[in-house]
Amino acid sequence: MTDIIDHYVDQYIADSARTSASLPDWLCAQKESAISQFKESGFPTLKDEDWRYTSLKSVVSKFFEVKVDETSGSADLSEFLISELDSYRMVFIDGRFSQQHSNLPDAVTGGDITALGSMTTAEFEHAPQALTQDQTTKHGFSALNVAFSSDGYVIQVADNTKLDKPVEILFVSLSENTAALPRNVIQMGNYSQAELIERHVSKNGLSALNNSTCQVDIAEGGKLDYYLVETMSNSATQVTSLNAELAKDSTFSCRTLTLGGGLVRNNLTVSLNQPGAHCDMLGLYSIAGKQHVDNHTNVIHAAPHCTSNELYKGVLDQRSRAVFHGRIKVEQDAQKTDAVQSNNNLLLSANAEIDTKPQLEIYADDVKCAHGATVGQIDETSLFYLRSRGIDETDARSLLTFAFVNDVMEQVEVEALRESLSTELAARLIDENVSLSVS
Amino acid sequence: MLSIKNLHASIDGKRILNGINLEVGTGEVHAIMGPNGSGKSTLASVLAGRDNYEVTEGNVIYKDQDLLEMEPEIRAREGVFLAFQYPVEIPGVTNMYLLKAAINAVKKHQGQDELDAREFLKLIKEKAAMVEMKQEFLYRSVNEGFSGGEKKRNEILQMALLEPYLSILDETDSGLDIDALKIVAKGVNLIRSEQRSMVLVTHYQRLLDYIVPDYVHVLAGGKIIRSGGKELALELEEKGYGWIDELAAA
Repeated sequence: MTDIIDHYVDQYIADSARTSASLPDWLCAQKESAISQFKESGFPTLKDEDWRYTSLKSVVSKFFEVKVDETSGSADLSEFLISELDSYRMVFIDGRFSQQHSNLPDAVTGGDITALGSMTTAEFEHAPQALTQDQTTKHGFSALNVAFSSDGYVIQVADNTKLDKPVEILFVSLSENTAALPRNVIQMGNYSQAELIERHVSKNGLSALNNSTCQVDIAEGGKLDYYLVETMSNSATQVTSLNAELAKDSTFSCRTLTLGGGLVRNNLTVSLNQPGAHCDMLGLYSIAGKQHVDNHTNVIHAAPHCTSNELYKGVLDQRSRAVFHGRIKVEQDAQKTDAVQSNNNLLLSANAEIDTKPQLEIYADDVKCAHGATVGQIDETSLFYLRSRGIDETDARSLLTFAFVNDVMEQVEVEALRESLSTELAARLIDENVSLSVS
Repeated sequence: MLSIKNLHASIDGKRILNGINLEVGTGEVHAIMGPNGSGKSTLASVLAGRDNYEVTEGNVIYKDQDLLEMEPEIRAREGVFLAFQYPVEIPGVTNMYLLKAAINAVKKHQGQDELDAREFLKLIKEKAAMVEMKQEFLYRSVNEGFSGGEKKRNEILQMALLEPYLSILDETDSGLDIDALKIVAKGVNLIRSEQRSMVLVTHYQRLLDYIVPDYVHVLAGGKIIRSGGKELALELEEKGYGWIDELAAA
């Protein structure tokens, strides 16, 4: 593995020589610390308990190039856009911000939306705490990401304001053999409210690595609806590490929707730090072929009277494989915690595999915690019922598959996004002749 | 309409039907009665095409076609309808979606124009009123959280919508209180016509107070052991199924 570590460290050294003069000291310090950690740990291996079901061979055998220069604006991105979605849009190509493809007014009321790679000295002086204090959970991928800190979105929402449109961030991978390393930050003010849609896409057949981190801080009473939509091509690798810190009475709704990507790993850590905080974590993965999707979630109840509700649903076809590892930790002081977790899987093929592992660690004595995991096939009685009403077998199977994920889909509250995901789901998994719209 | 000849069927190697013979003419309503385990529901399932039953002998002709050769969805599109004894709950599929997909599958197969959203809505509202079903049930998931009576009413709604030539009602009366039974019976009677045939599978005579059959057959041990007019049901009610055992033994 030394070769691959050197490969990235060499790129880091070259990049730092070019950029460090213009960066604030605190950021340089974060970068130095992160590269030291990466040098020491390298990428995780199957021997690491948290990575034992996910082989990274395909990632560590490829020498991806981190794109450091500004991106060219000539690319046609229309195939990746959701035309019905009315949003403030930031576009990153191969990990670099593209002003030209973005759709951002000069000023957004109550919101400060910038790109890390183009922040000025003045902007760095007012950088949110979520950026100045690096709280990223450290493993090789996140360390590499913070070491470069090359670009990413930095969004602050002011106290007592609600953004009038969703903010959409589109990460597009277009160049063969590149590593995009977006470092993202969301800082929600007191009683602020926003919807954020982070989408990851790539050119078909592209071999690329997308290794992103996201730090979310939500102040008292703040509410963030966050969507992580993963639809890269099946030759791409995506690793996402998100860390959310929730203050008093704040709400974090996190929906992870994974339809694409050859190898996808999501590390989500949510800390409920003060009383009254609540998080919803919804997940949907619908995969086929040889896709591999690994969801690691970690919910930490660190204060009393917090609630968390986690539901992950998966549909696995052909030789695909999924991992769900959901940890809930209830600390000693976190009395009156109410935490629920479930993971339900539908296997459409005898060759698909799911490894599901709930893990509850409870150190308080007055709490409500429930978890459950199921793995099943299409119900034959339901199938016969639909067929006996004239619906042919293929359509009936598709309908039941779609119905299985429907409760997660229904919670995608942005209508244009939900419609687009339904279409994509249908195209990827379901017979094209079935119309899934309900009139 | 339907001609069953010497039908034998088994499940997991266990013989359930042992030579059923039954002729159902166009416009006729036949009641099939019998004690538990006599094979009533098996007969209904075999006719609808459930695949966990194996037909070992005999044949079934429906409108000059070999019914047993058809896939369940083809039978439905050709006008065969089974009202389930235990209607299935399908979370995530709305009743509306199922009903529209079903009627358009039938219409398409029969060479008719499919209904558009407006035409369908008008039709379904009319049919729902017929079985006294509140419209909110149309927008809920199929049978999910429905009471026993509501599920059976939903079956009759589907039947009313699809207007099948041959309806098989599998113990549609079981578990219904008197009010629900009357509503279901009313729905069935509205659909009854000279073009449509019905097979009512039932354990009790009480359904037949509301839907008067042309013929009654008594099933025991996987065979029809007695056939008659509607008065046979009354005789059976009076003498009880113990009488059947005596008949079967004789």
